[in-house]
Amino acid sequence: MLPDETVIRSALSRVTQAEVSASTLGVVARVPAAEAAAALEALKASELDFVMLVDLLGTDTGEAIEVTYHLRSFARDEDLYVKCELPYDGVLHSVWNVYASALLPERETAELLGLTLAGHPNPARLLTIDDTPPLLRRSVPIRTTEEVRDR
Amino acid sequence: MGLTVESRECIETPEGGVVEELVVNIGPSHPSTHGVCRVIAHLDGEIVTRAEPVIGYLHRGIEKMAENRTYLQVVPLTDRLDYVGSMYANWAYCRAVERLAGIRVPERAEYLRVVVCELQRIASHMMSIGSAAADSGAATMFIYAFDQRERIIELFEALCGARLTYNYVRPGGVSFDLPDGWTETALDFCRTHREALNEMDRLYFGNVITRGRLKGVGVLSADDAVAWGASGPVARGSGVNWDLRKHDTYSVYPRFDFDVPTGSNGDCYDRTRVRLYECYESCRIVEQALAQMEPGPIRTSGMPRLLAPRPGDAYDHIESARGSLGVYLVSDGSVRPYRMKVRSPAFCNLALLPMLAEGHMLSDLVVILGSLDPVFGEVDR
Repeated sequence: MLPDETVIRSALSRVTQAEVSASTLGVVARVPAAEAAAALEALKASELDFVMLVDLLGTDTGEAIEVTYHLRSFARDEDLYVKCELPYDGVLHSVWNVYASALLPERETAELLGLTLAGHPNPARLLTIDDTPPLLRRSVPIRTTEEVRDR
Repeated sequence: MGLTVESRECIETPEGGVVEELVVNIGPSHPSTHGVCRVIAHLDGEIVTRAEPVIGYLHRGIEKMAENRTYLQVVPLTDRLDYVGSMYANWAYCRAVERLAGIRVPERAEYLRVVVCELQRIASHMMSIGSAAADSGAATMFIYAFDQRERIIELFEALCGARLTYNYVRPGGVSFDLPDGWTETALDFCRTHREALNEMDRLYFGNVITRGRLKGVGVLSADDAVAWGASGPVARGSGVNWDLRKHDTYSVYPRFDFDVPTGSNGDCYDRTRVRLYECYESCRIVEQALAQMEPGPIRTSGMPRLLAPRPGDAYDHIESARGSLGVYLVSDGSVRPYRMKVRSPAFCNLALLPMLAEGHMLSDLVVILGSLDPVFGEVDR
């Protein structure tokens, strides 16, 4: 179900300047990257009760890395997406002390999109070996088997 | 490489004594890791003090590969995510595409999707229960469960020709209608499957050795399940009543009468037994769906060969055998997805392993991993 935009806006207004809008995805709150953790904490603690971080993902938009936090409230049966943008050489600050479920997806996102992970208890690579380029960046090409073989 | 000792290190205990910490490497190719997972276990005697899963051995970059294929060409890739339950990833992906492109699916196709996915749930749970039982030494159960699974695989083979990677659910519908006699075989399966489930429940879950082995091992509280993003039987075993088929329901699920089994203790026993009870409910849904199904088209007419949804993003999720399986898609208006991200329940559930294994015996680590039911195609993607 979709949460009420005005309720989200007022819950976030205490910590940050958030842009809340409805899109094809659902209700999306755009916050500055530096205040993402504070925004998540406010959403979790408020009466909105967003207790679960369902997923965390990054997208290379061509200009920056967009990080999306997908939150779920069981009490209200609602889903909310919090988005923030990081520069290509940006630092992804861990939110694991707000949501423990962020631990693995954060490592994956930082590794596959070439971000630096800060405040994480184990910021090691998760899926690929050392020196693998950030695979999910648009600038990293997809090679066919033949191209890799003839390289 | 199976089980190897990585290092022996002397550590001082708070009482002033000196003990030897043994670091044991399990996997990546070891029968009880259910795929290619490596677990680095730090041991104090036989007690696990820390267990760290090391993943990525099956990372094929499916999310990146999807960016170089058209929307229809991605469907076979999703088969390779959760290869024990391919239908789910097919369906989750197709739902995301349909949401993005605004495609309506004919009712018969929705019923067919429900029927195959509930049968897939039984097949997947049989695999899970069978292999988890084999981990704890009950090899008989493995054979019983695989016998049931094989009958479903044969049904799928008759339906779409494939036994493991079906590519059955497509954007806008499904690929084949039911062949002659399929409904009767499926109903016959549901009838006999209940008897088999009764027998398995008595044989395995009523067994005093199984109870001793699984009860009280790897206890997950409901709060921790939510905090760690657990879903599916892992969360429901802890009493978190979250099933997307009931809450945030989709497709034609509101038309069926079924229950969501939950556990109360959150231990390996409850998690595994919830899976068994879900098989009963799946049988109920299959029977109702086959009875309600009306003849009609199985694909939306006028579907273009090359889909080019309007720019934007969409997320849709379904309840797979492992939990909430979601696909996030971004379109830039071209014929290829700009970004695909799979919210993998097995990946989220595996994150619980270090917490659950701590303080248990090394032999319990294997049981705990089995009860989390990870499929590494989906974990590594």
